[in-house]
Amino acid sequence: MSFIEIDNNKCKSCYLCIDVCPFKLIKKSETIGKTGQNIVEFKDENSKCSACKMCAMMCPDIAITKVWKT
Amino acid sequence: MQQVYSTPKSIKKDSTFTFCAGCDHGLAIKLVAEVLDELNLRENTIAVASSGCSVFLYDFLDVDCIESPHGRACAVATGIKRAHRALNEEKFVFTYQGDGDFASIGLSESLHSALRGENISVICINNTNYGMTGGQMGPTTVLGQHTTTSPNGRNVKYHGYPIKTAEQIALCDGTCFSARVALCDIKNIINAKEQIKKCFEYQKQNLGFSFVEILSSCPTNWKLSPSDSHKKIKEELSEIYPLKVFKDIKEND
Amino acid sequence: MNQKELLKGNIAIAKAAINCGCKCYFGYPITPQTEIGEYLSNEMEKRNLAYVCAESEIAAINMCIGASSSGAKTMTSSSSCAVSLMQEAISYACSDELPIVIVNVMRAGPGQGYIYPSQGDYDQSTIGGGNGDYRIICLSPSTVQECIDMTYKAFYLAQKYKNPTILLLDGLLGQMAEPAIINDNPYEEIDNSSWVLKGAKNRPSRQINSLEPNQTKLNSHIFKMFEKYKQLEENEQDYEDFMCDDADIIICAFGSLARCAKDLCSYYRQKGIKMGLFRPKTLYPFPNKKLEELSLRAKLFIDIEMNMGQMLRDVRLTISHNAKISFIGKPVGDWLKKEELIDAIDKILKENYATSL
Repeated sequence: MSFIEIDNNKCKSCYLCIDVCPFKLIKKSETIGKTGQNIVEFKDENSKCSACKMCAMMCPDIAITKVWKT
Repeated sequence: MQQVYSTPKSIKKDSTFTFCAGCDHGLAIKLVAEVLDELNLRENTIAVASSGCSVFLYDFLDVDCIESPHGRACAVATGIKRAHRALNEEKFVFTYQGDGDFASIGLSESLHSALRGENISVICINNTNYGMTGGQMGPTTVLGQHTTTSPNGRNVKYHGYPIKTAEQIALCDGTCFSARVALCDIKNIINAKEQIKKCFEYQKQNLGFSFVEILSSCPTNWKLSPSDSHKKIKEELSEIYPLKVFKDIKEND
Repeated sequence: MNQKELLKGNIAIAKAAINCGCKCYFGYPITPQTEIGEYLSNEMEKRNLAYVCAESEIAAINMCIGASSSGAKTMTSSSSCAVSLMQEAISYACSDELPIVIVNVMRAGPGQGYIYPSQGDYDQSTIGGGNGDYRIICLSPSTVQECIDMTYKAFYLAQKYKNPTILLLDGLLGQMAEPAIINDNPYEEIDNSSWVLKGAKNRPSRQINSLEPNQTKLNSHIFKMFEKYKQLEENEQDYEDFMCDDADIIICAFGSLARCAKDLCSYYRQKGIKMGLFRPKTLYPFPNKKLEELSLRAKLFIDIEMNMGQMLRDVRLTISHNAKISFIGKPVGDWLKKEELIDAIDKILKENYATSL
């Protein structure tokens, strides 16, 4: 099961990662981040993540710090 | 399990970008860091930051870095490159500047460095306005664009034309590489990294002045969401500022 | 080498710079200092050193910022109105603590003025023409030999205190030829390995910057700079006191004008008036310790300058009410002639000592 690691302290809620994920595995979370908006979370209940890294490549704040592939 | 992505080594540990949410500056600095890693340049690099949002470069990049007065980054870089040569040392020197810095207040230093063929690399962020001061009309503000100092939209009769930096720099004999790239989608990000890599490699090969203009978003001052800002670059701005290589000394051979 | 030769002030400075290991020169032509760049263009190229005919003085001084951050001895030269163009970068270099030698061969101003000699940049050089709290070390040679000696000293003090240093002379001295010796650089080399930018290899990365968004840090940075200036004021004041020991009247003058003042001392001493000359060699730090000491004994100080009274402020601040102070000044061009000065001094003496003349 591939997955990503998100640093909640770095996420500024720009949501560019949400747009770019081909499987729509990144969503707004309930947590409010430092910009006062909901930060994102990664939820992959059906193990769809392919570790394509596109979310990490798109993140302008390097908040997606690691991508793991299995 | 295999880690397929990690934070570039050339980014300072525990540093957090201070740019606005969705600002392409972060993407650009990340790409620069990745290229520095891949070309194994980190320990031999001196970066020059300038005034504007670009000045914070030294807070994020884990390389030796000097801040230049507004617009003078290319002159400072010239001094660094030449001084190390006088000391019989070869260093990798690049500047990271905004469009206002490179193409307005510093146009003289920028252009003459290119004309001399100064062996330095320049990354220029074009976000079509003065970002740090709150979105005033800059040299790259496109016709019709509303800014705080062109509240009715830039028009030719009143404000004059914007500058097409990558095209102008390509005209200089001393330029070995000049390209414009964007960061509005994954395809463009991959291409941007390739061009930045080429830009840096050309300096390593002593080919002259190498330049990459990055068409970047400024969601805060454009008053658009980060996603809509990227759409604007893709659909509107890239028509005005074509995304291509304008000069590549190796292709011309 | 080490033989007496006939040298112009400008050439003497250029030769001394090479001799003292200057690795980088960036400049733009302006009369009356152009010979420095002309001479160095050839000498630097021969030695594979860095020489750039910059596109402007702004570019030149910014190239100096880059070069000095690399640890290379760096120099630029220019003249008055063009040194004005450099002020922003000089302010940066002070905050960045970069050792840059700036030669200013003064011409008359304000504005474009003309190429006549002048001492009109005393204020700009010592107080600073840029923004913010800073000081610039400023040396004032009076002879071609001193142009050489003070070039060495300028590089030394710049490195020692990590601060831009101005070598301030007027067009007269820059253009004048007289015998001088290119002696060896008497100063030790200063180790700069703890701060120069050479790539972050086997050490943490370094930054040289003046921007500081944290006001506590910005305050402490400036306090630190002023600790350094305190050291300078304590240790580096330099002057010449000529016939001052028994003098009742002391002329204060700097640079080429002080040569003329020496003649005046002899002239008046022949007439039975005990006159001396106090000549600051460092304009910043101003040699106030010695001047204050002299002011406790001498009765009258006559400040003579080729400007409207710029050093006069430092003289007044130092002497305060200890003695009387008069001023003779002419801002532009033709050197104050001996006869002209004698007339002016006679008038001052008549006002102050009506009975003695």
